[in-house]
Amino acid sequence: MAVTPWEDELTRQLQEKFGEQILEFSSYLGQNFLVARPEAVIPILEYLKAEAQFDYLVDVTAVDYPERPERFELVYILYSFERNQRIRIKTRIPEGFRPATAVPVYPTANWLEREVFDMFGIEFQGHPDMRRILLPEDWTGHPLRKDVSILDMDQRWVRQHLGIESGQ
Amino acid sequence: MKQGGALRRFLRKVLFIDLIEGLWVTFRYQQPKYIYTEQYPAERPKIAERYRGAPRLNTNPETGETLCIACNLCALACPENLIVVDSERDEKTRRKVLTTFTYDTSRCMFCGLCEDACPVDALELTQDFELASYSREGAIWDRQMLEEGPRPTKYAY
Amino acid sequence: MPDSTFLDATELVLNMGPQHPSTHGVLRVILKLDGEKVIGTECVIGYLHRGIEKIAENRTYAQFAPYVDRMDYVAAVSNGLGYCLAVEKLLGVEVPPRAQAVRVILTELNRIASHLIWLGTHALDVGAITPLFYCMREREEILNIFEKYCGARLTTHAFRIGGLQYETYDTFEQDVRAFCDMFLPKVDEYEELLTGNRIWIGRLRNVGILTAEECKAYGVTGPLLRAAGVKWDLRKAQPYSGYEQYDFEIPTGTIGDSYDRYLVRIQEMRQSVRIIRQALDGLPGGPIMGKVPKVIKPPVGEVYVSIEAPKGELGYYIVSDGSTQPYRVRVRPPSFVNLQALDKMCRGALVADVVVVIGTIDIVLGEVDR
Ligand code: SF4
Ligand code: SF4
Repeated sequence: MAVTPWEDELTRQLQEKFGEQILEFSSYLGQNFLVARPEAVIPILEYLKAEAQFDYLVDVTAVDYPERPERFELVYILYSFERNQRIRIKTRIPEGFRPATAVPVYPTANWLEREVFDMFGIEFQGHPDMRRILLPEDWTGHPLRKDVSILDMDQRWVRQHLGIESGQ
Repeated sequence: MKQGGALRRFLRKVLFIDLIEGLWVTFRYQQPKYIYTEQYPAERPKIAERYRGAPRLNTNPETGETLCIACNLCALACPENLIVVDSERDEKTRRKVLTTFTYDTSRCMFCGLCEDACPVDALELTQDFELASYSREGAIWDRQMLEEGPRPTKYAY
Repeated sequence: MPDSTFLDATELVLNMGPQHPSTHGVLRVILKLDGEKVIGTECVIGYLHRGIEKIAENRTYAQFAPYVDRMDYVAAVSNGLGYCLAVEKLLGVEVPPRAQAVRVILTELNRIASHLIWLGTHALDVGAITPLFYCMREREEILNIFEKYCGARLTTHAFRIGGLQYETYDTFEQDVRAFCDMFLPKVDEYEELLTGNRIWIGRLRNVGILTAEECKAYGVTGPLLRAAGVKWDLRKAQPYSGYEQYDFEIPTGTIGDSYDRYLVRIQEMRQSVRIIRQALDGLPGGPIMGKVPKVIKPPVGEVYVSIEAPKGELGYYIVSDGSTQPYRVRVRPPSFVNLQALDKMCRGALVADVVVVIGTIDIVLGEVDR
């Protein structure tokens, strides 16, 4: 099954409101998603929450494509209890870009964004507490990036805190 | 009516009826069918037939030859990469012959993917569950150990 | 003016965990206290982080399946179901009806087992020891069924992509039916012990309230959301694995406190038995494995599939690049997201209530940290 365009009432509204900011409306295996410019993500989230009852942010995550110029793909998954509908909002950002945080819109984004920061090193602008969440605070490296091998670890941290030469 | 209730309550109190009722519950659980304690290791518990425990490399019961055809499928299926199969080609029959087979039980999660992958049912996870060993090396099983199975200490009582 | 000493301080920082019996694993909570009152909490997690998502990128699709059992290890079957459904959707594989029904039976049994662990440990936290023994006794029966069915008790690896590896064993139906008949009176027994118990009510009523609005804002799902009065269950809202055929109710609470959550979970156990019975009655015959290619290589694309795990919405977001290994697997863990609301629930409560609130969220640290 191929990616098909996604068109309905909601996409028309979004198109009208955001125009060029949204690059693509698509649907794959019956799941709708849109690709937006990074600056537009938070306004889109705000709009969807206020106008289209998408009141539950399911997940925030990222995917790393090191060979692309815009290396990371940020993914926001939204759900609406009212419509029983799920959509994904994706945006592509280059290394070092600091996307705006979604915490003021959805408080649940707090830990989810911290995890993205921890695993990919994407810093969110305006986040109330941008620290590592799963790994130790003085760890270096972001393990879910594709250039980190599964065997890599922060040897300095291992030596310092565990007192052994290597974690292997 | 009210008085009768009071009398009953009084009798219940002096005759320790509540206490006896409570103790009755306690003693009822002495019945053999309620006993859950297992007398391991004197009595080995009954393990389900499909239990995924200690690995075994099956041999032909008549000739004692291994069933393994050294196809390496189990090693490829294993998510932990802990099976190492080595073989050499028999010049006469042109068939692969198993030389070594090592299985690192310390890293195994007993998921069963290797036994599913085996085309001749040579590798099998059995009902043996006594895998403890005093050293890390002891947890790495070679071909002989895999064919004969673990020999846990037998306790006599 | 003398130097200020610790006697002047009004705030006390108290460290709870990571080795604390009622944090249900290695969770560390830093409490900021004013006397007995909690004025802030901070969770320190990650002690059990094993990098499951990184492991996924280095395994084939079939090889990764046993790892998901290690996330929420008291509900391993649900984890496996979610993962298999996601890969099946990506592959476009149809699961035969018999496999679907057996999956439902096992998942619901697992839901009961998970709720039993929750009930037992939660009651133990609050001070009632007996329910723990009762719950463990009944859970044992479920684990025995698992052991007989697939050979493992906890990390079951019961399902494979495309269906089931194991056909049900000979007495499977009898065993499950016997369990259902035995179990319902036991639920009444738990209720007899707890529902009207004054200490239980005193400790749980009005503790850790989360309203429906707050639940949605924090992304809290599962029994917590239902206790707040939202009739939402993914099994009904977006049915999977044939749940649309079964007739069951979604129990809800009213004010969303710990006591409501207790009632919701108790009712859910009863509903699970109801589903299991229906699934057994209509258990179809036929194959148990769909048409899955020998080498699993989903086409390029991505998919998000979620199921109603015992703890809430468990989602898998899988990105495929057309190779045999997933490009990215993201797990949306219900415990992790629900734990985030701990701060909200604890603020203004007493120290002793923190234990109740942690218990009532029903977290499993294996899933929080992954
Ligand atoms: S049971 Fe699983 S982990 Fe163990 S050797 Fe077999 S495939 Fe590997
Ligand atoms: S899959 Fe079976 S036959 Fe092939 S190497 Fe492994 S044990 Fe031997």
